[in-house]
Order: sequence, then C-alpha cells, then structure tokens
Amino acid sequence: MDTDLLPEAFVELADTLVAGFDVIDFLHLLTDRSVQVLNASAAGLLLADPRGELRVVAASSEQVRLLELFQLQNDQGPCLDCYRSGQPVSEADLSTAGERWPNFAAIARRAGFAAVQALPMRLRDETIGALNLFRTVPGAFDAADVRVGQALADVATIGLLNERSLRRAEILNEQLQGALNSRVIIEQAKGKLAERLGLDMDQAFAALRRYARARNRGLSDLARAFVDGSEELPGLGPGSPTPGTLPRPGSPEPPRSGRQPPSA
Amino acid sequence: MAVSRMSAIWDLLAAHAADRGGPATAADVCAVCVATVAVSGAAVTATGTAGAGQAGTGHVICVTDEVGEQLEELQLTFGEGPRGDALAAGAPVLVPDLDASDIVSRWPAFGPGAQLAGAAAVFAFPLQIGAIRVGVLGLYRRLPGPLSTRELGDSLMLADAATVLLLDRQDRDGRAGIPDGDGGTNTDGVLNWNDRAGPGGQPLDLGLHRAEIDQATGMLTEQLGVSIDEAFVRLRAYAYAHDRRLVDVARDLVTRTLRLGPGGSPPGGTA
Repeated sequence: MDTDLLPEAFVELADTLVAGFDVIDFLHLLTDRSVQVLNASAAGLLLADPRGELRVVAASSEQVRLLELFQLQNDQGPCLDCYRSGQPVSEADLSTAGERWPNFAAIARRAGFAAVQALPMRLRDETIGALNLFRTVPGAFDAADVRVGQALADVATIGLLNERSLRRAEILNEQLQGALNSRVIIEQAKGKLAERLGLDMDQAFAALRRYARARNRGLSDLARAFVDGSEELPGLGPGSPTPGTLPRPGSPEPPRSGRQPPSA
Repeated sequence: MAVSRMSAIWDLLAAHAADRGGPATAADVCAVCVATVAVSGAAVTATGTAGAGQAGTGHVICVTDEVGEQLEELQLTFGEGPRGDALAAGAPVLVPDLDASDIVSRWPAFGPGAQLAGAAAVFAFPLQIGAIRVGVLGLYRRLPGPLSTRELGDSLMLADAATVLLLDRQDRDGRAGIPDGDGGTNTDGVLNWNDRAGPGGQPLDLGLHRAEIDQATGMLTEQLGVSIDEAFVRLRAYAYAHDRRLVDVARDLVTRTLRLGPGGSPPGGTA
C-alpha cells in the first residue's frame, strides 16, 4: 500500500462530497485512488440493482476487457460471493482458482490478472455492492491493504448517502438508481463521441472526462448534455479530432450524413 | 434470476392486455402495479417533448383512480411533487410517509394537498434509459410505508416496461418507420410487444442490457443523425427485422463490423 497517497486521497474524496456533488465523478475518483493507494492494477465498483443484478458504476479503466470481467461476475466470481456473504473475498493466485470460479478465473487470467480482492459495500445489515481490486502479480492483499480498502468501500457507501434523513434507505435506493442511470448516459456518450471522432470507447471516455474537468463540470451532467444535444459543446463537435484518432474502417464516404448534429 | 423476474412481469402485462383484448399499453402497467406492488393507485405520464423534464409539463397517459388523478393535477397546478423531482434527478423519488417533516419544506403545496386527497405515501419512477426520458410512473398508497426490496425491484421493472411501451407509442405517433432491410422503411410495421417479441423471442429486459447496447445507441445518434430516443427505437427495430438479439447487433455496431446509414440499413455492406 502506498501510505504517502493515503491522506491526500481521503481529503480529495471528502472535498468531492461537499461541493457540487456528482456521484459518478466521486465513484470514479474512488476507484482511481483505490488503484493507486492499494498498488492494484485495476479496480471497479459494482452496485446491486434491486432488479437483482450487480452492475458496474465506475472502473479505473474503461477498456472493454476489464468491464466485461466485472459484468460476468453476475454469474460467478469474487464480487458475487462478496455481495452474497457481505464478507471480503480474495484469491491470491487465480491460476489455482479453476474450481472456485472456472469461467471467471480463466477470463481474468487471459486479461492478465493474477490476484483479486473484493470488499463489500455495507450499510448496516445490507450489502449494496462491492469494490473489486485486481493485481497482475500473484499474492494476497495484506491486512493493511484490506483495512484501507474496506475504508474506501465504506467511503463509497457514505458518498451514496450524502445526507442525514429519516428516509435513509429510500435515499440510498434513489441515489443508487440515479448512479446506475448516469452510468448508462456515460455509455451512450461514449458511443456517440467514439462514432463522431473515430475513437475507441476507452479514448472516448477519456476525452469526455478531460472535457468535463477542464470546464469544471460533473461528468454525468456533461454526458447528458452531450447525448441529448441540449447544449453546444465546442470541442466535442465534428472537425476537432484528437491526436491518434483511429482510422475509420470501411468506405471512404463523408463521415456524416443526414441531419447535422446540433453542436458546433 | 433477473431474466425470469422480468419475464414474469411481461407475462402479467400480456395477460392483462389479453383480457382487455388489445396489445400491451401503459394502462396495463398501471393495473399490474396495483396488483403486484401493493399500491393503491398508479399513473403514467409522458413528457411533453423528448427529454423535457420540468415539473408541470407532460400529460397523463393513464391513471387507475380518482386519487391518482388528483395527485397528477396537484403536481401540474403547483409545479412541484415527485414526478418533476424524479425527472429532474434522473432517479426515483421514494417517499414512504408524506407526513414526514422534510416533506413539508420540500413540497409545501403538493404535500398537504396529496394527503387531503387521500395519499399517505408516493413513489415516482422516471421512465428512462440513460439520456432517454419519456415520462414518469407515479405510485401512491393510502397508508404510509416503504416499498419492500421485492416491490421496489418489481416497480423498477414495470417502469422499464412502461419506458419501452412509451417509446414505441412515440415511434408510432412519429411514424419513424421500421427499416425493412432493403434500404427502405415500412411505416405500417409496428413492433408488437403484446407477445413480448424482443429479438430472438426474448423479452426485452432493460435491466440486463449490456454497456454495448447503450454505446451502440449513442453511436446510432451519429450514424443516423437522430435523437437518442429514436436511435434506440431504430436499434431495436433493426434487431427485430433481422431476428437477431439486441446485444449481438449492438456488439457488431460497437466493433464496427456493422454500420447503419440514415435509412437504417447498412450502406451496401454487411447485414
């Protein structure tokens, strides 16, 4: 664990809780900091939808292979076990986890991961989700890592419940659904920007995030404005490709046809 | 398993619609809410224009009883209440007790008015898929008390069903048309959700949507030059017309092995 980063990480998270709170930004910050502080290779935050499913709301990388690794844990994996038991779940060596999680272990190893730790997000008696950490080298997360990781998971839960009220359980559910829907907006925005600028989804996400930060806006808010076309967003319009844009596959026809999108 | 729960919801909707003798509509959603979620009444309102979310806009599509009607009227009149808040927040508004102290300051006019009308608890669910927002499902109870986890899950699934039904209704009214695979559109074709014919015969389950479906929807706003609402309708229409699963079409779009031109079909490429 990188203890130097720890105090700053908590201060940063606390600051986010106070001013102009955007829950998606907050959860992304938390997963990023988890990776750094705990010397992990990747992290993801999953929440349990009352419809009965674990869904990713934030991850340290938007690479498809990683996101799928979280998604498939609805059927099998450390997050599912963690969510059901309400206890931390770990595997120090995924090459030996073939019986425990045959499908998950194989896919995780193919993605380059060797160890995994899942920590429950708990509110009183209820587990609402899990913080999922991966490393590319085998070895257990040590006791200090688990303690701090659990503290970060608890901060995530508190962040979802940022007001004191008699309606605590209701507010948590409201926030959870809001966060899940915000995640959908971000996926829609990724698709739209990826298509517009010829980027992959990871690049599109990075571009949206950079844009939001540069203008001091919440990511969910920006993503919604971009998707529903309710605002002109100079810089995200056509004709402003970022360096390293992927070439567009297929025929060399003009990139856009039909109605012009509303932005600059 | 989430899939069988959503299937069960569609079954209830289909059965109720069959009893009425027509395809499933938002009215069936309201009726099934009352029957399965133990609420006293339900109403579905549609937003006035795509994406508009102010309290006080939108019109009532269906409502199960007079108290429900009054609750919608109060919100329209006073421009405050669970419906507007749910749309603005992009999240449900769950108020198990209208008598609670924070409600008076939150809804100074609607709160007391709703109680006078006979409601003790209100729950509003935005009908949304990301940036797609088509309306609100409003529930009320005569007695205070929270929705159980199971009831909350069922309400969310019923809201998902209402979202799809309203999108289709919007589509029919707007004559978006369904691509027939040859570069033309068939404006007589309507997706018949009465038999829950999602692509491949699977009931459409928004809870199980993969990120790719959302990304593909976003991509289609660019490829087709349409709103996000219409992009989603076209995506489903394409999958339906080609008898493919929604997730598979989405994956092809995201991996760029499929591209749709403005007519809704691939421009002479892969199908």
